[in-house]
Amino acid sequence: MMRATMTGCYKIAGKTVAMTSLYPDVHEYCAEYRTDEAPDFAVEVTPADIEDEDARTRREYALEERPVPGFSPEILEQTAAYRKIAERLIAYDRVVFHGACVAVDGQGYLFTAKSGTGKSTHAALWSELLGERAVNVNDDKPILHVADDGVTAYGTPWTGKHHRGRNMAVPLKAICLLEQAAENHIAPITWKRAYPMLVQQTYRPRDAERLAITMPLVDRLARSVKLYCLRCNMDLSAAETAWNAMKG
Amino acid sequence: MSDMKLNGNYLIHDDGNTKYVVSTGSTNFNGIARGNETAGFIIECLRSETTEDEIVSKMQENWDVSDELARRDVRKIVEQLRTMGAVDE
Repeated sequence: MMRATMTGCYKIAGKTVAMTSLYPDVHEYCAEYRTDEAPDFAVEVTPADIEDEDARTRREYALEERPVPGFSPEILEQTAAYRKIAERLIAYDRVVFHGACVAVDGQGYLFTAKSGTGKSTHAALWSELLGERAVNVNDDKPILHVADDGVTAYGTPWTGKHHRGRNMAVPLKAICLLEQAAENHIAPITWKRAYPMLVQQTYRPRDAERLAITMPLVDRLARSVKLYCLRCNMDLSAAETAWNAMKG
Repeated sequence: MSDMKLNGNYLIHDDGNTKYVVSTGSTNFNGIARGNETAGFIIECLRSETTEDEIVSKMQENWDVSDELARRDVRKIVEQLRTMGAVDE
């Protein structure tokens, strides 16, 4: 059987990827990132990848005992494409990280927690507090370039369910673990305390060889930025507490 | 006694002073387990196919520890790894 595909080039986290897909949707989704530059690498989503993504989604929802939403092949392809890109970017010292990244005055602050804790809500509070000074870089899965001389956070087309994000890059200053609490409290934490969470929130590739390249990047990430734990509610004062502690 | 080995979807990672077992994205276990020195030693033994007896005797070569105590540690760590789905046997 014949299969029609389409290819486009996109600049993601400073690298150009030639992306081949079965459906047009993912190209519309990535339109803002289109480039004419020669690709650094290519990814192609196949029907098997989409089936695999479907099975993976079902498994994850079942583990969390949540009802499985019926995702369309187009949506599954978007996720499958990001997974493929994430796998390839590891070789360029770049990892996809689960969190909400806000830039203030040109510096990045990344909030991370398990789904449903309130990362997006907290990021939105920063905008409420700081107005246009605060820019949402990516609300769900920014890419971090973990270089020898520091970490850069990149916006990507994959901006989470609220579609908040921008095609931009900022030096990452801090990562903050979020926990729900009645009263707001923030404290610096050691990298040892943050480490398991940082590993869990970093995209972990499917094979052990790529994971062996990812882990030293997580080590370097943990030692390259300031680390905090914020226990917070959803009032504006939560953003005040966080900003006052992290801006210094 | 049956042979066992760390499953290929799990990686031993050493950050310079602590050993971790980390899962790839292919497993249902999401994340990471941190081990003390003894756990780290036992996990290292599981890089290649081995048995409980073999690990116990390796531990006794390195530390002044009774068969009983070493065996208890090995069983405990292997059981934890089993729960993660990290042991092939």
